[in-house]
Amino acid sequence: MDMENQRRVKEFAEQYPKEDLVVILGGAEAEASGLAAETVSNGDPAWAGPLAGVPLGLKAFHIFEPEIKDQVDPGVYEAQVSLMEMVLDMDAIISEVSSIRNQYATW
Amino acid sequence: MRIVHYINQFFGGIGGEEKAGHRPEVRQGPVGPGMALTQALAGSGEIVATVICGDSWFNENLEEASRTVLDLISQYSPDLVIAGPAFNAGRYGMACGAVAEVVSKRLNIPVVSGMYKENPGLEVYRKHAWVVETGDSAASMRTAVPAIAAMVKRLASGQEPEPGTYLERGIRLNYFEAERGSKRAVEMLVRKLSEQPFTTEYPMPAFDRVAPNPPVRDLSKAKIALVTSGGIVPKGNPDRIESSSASKFGKYFLGDRDDLTSETHQTAHGGYDPTYANADADRVLPLDVMRQLEREGVIGKLHDYWYATVGNGTSVANAKAYAAAIAQDLVSHAVDAVILTST
Repeated sequence: MDMENQRRVKEFAEQYPKEDLVVILGGAEAEASGLAAETVSNGDPAWAGPLAGVPLGLKAFHIFEPEIKDQVDPGVYEAQVSLMEMVLDMDAIISEVSSIRNQYATW
Repeated sequence: MRIVHYINQFFGGIGGEEKAGHRPEVRQGPVGPGMALTQALAGSGEIVATVICGDSWFNENLEEASRTVLDLISQYSPDLVIAGPAFNAGRYGMACGAVAEVVSKRLNIPVVSGMYKENPGLEVYRKHAWVVETGDSAASMRTAVPAIAAMVKRLASGQEPEPGTYLERGIRLNYFEAERGSKRAVEMLVRKLSEQPFTTEYPMPAFDRVAPNPPVRDLSKAKIALVTSGGIVPKGNPDRIESSSASKFGKYFLGDRDDLTSETHQTAHGGYDPTYANADADRVLPLDVMRQLEREGVIGKLHDYWYATVGNGTSVANAKAYAAAIAQDLVSHAVDAVILTST
């Protein structure tokens, strides 16, 4: 996750109660999505950005995950996301992001 | 154990490529990956300061950068320096390597780093640091940190790291072997011929392969340049290009010259018998033939300069760097194709 996005997430986590925050990811493959989920929960795994050594414990979901997908207007999801479901490895992405979330999210 | 940590602008939290010109600075205590290292070291070493420098600034000001970073490091009287990990970041790896060289030579203390096996910094500086192997991106930080910490702990306990825990340093050690070399070589060959596994005593370097460029469409309109690793230089070798492991290349003016003679040109190369090249340097840098082709209209024009270095023992990394610089100059002079001659 780039430094600017890390800084924004950090600011939101200071501004709002952490239990009210959820980070929604749109990464195109499992490893990058998992790293982003780890960054907002356990801290920046590359130890480079504003979240280095800052375990916010936030929950991160990929947009493909049913918890998020089911809350999106089906027409909007169909128009914006469905095409990507066909070309990306959904199962790998969901399994990686949910496993990181279960491991590190505290809120 | 007192440790100073060297990192680049990215891991220092200063910024990405747009901040790569950042000048060296020092901060107290650990920064960025140093925080992870501090946890992993669990008290067996303390990062007392972190030196941060932009990758571009370091590489573009190599001597000044090495000197400045050394000064910043030495004021903390460390027992050990950690540089990186640099993963496969080329300029970062080169900077970590240069820091390792200057620290190990001037302060006579060990340097630990982490790099991907193809990082050019490893190729150039491998003998100056204990480099643990990492993945090619910062995503492998979680495995790099414990490996570096383990290496530091081992050095802190006064032990040499075990072979296999670091990337080969290219340092040869003498030892006595019961069987003589010829016998061992024949045994190895017999095993190879009978398709049994064998272990070489001297692995050969693996070279990459370069895909050829598309052919020149119309040679009669093309501007052609001569580039050689055969060491042909003006008589007296004005740039003092080394006869082996060249540290530079030269660019020389041809003007309207159409022949190289023993009075005007010579080879600087120390890897072949120079007699015939010194008698007539056209044998290695074929200027006479190129002029003839130019007159006949076979080629459009010969470029006004030639470029020369000595290929003898010159590292692939250095050769690549010279090639990149030469290619840039050729492109800026609208050269269409190059004839490369070796020895």
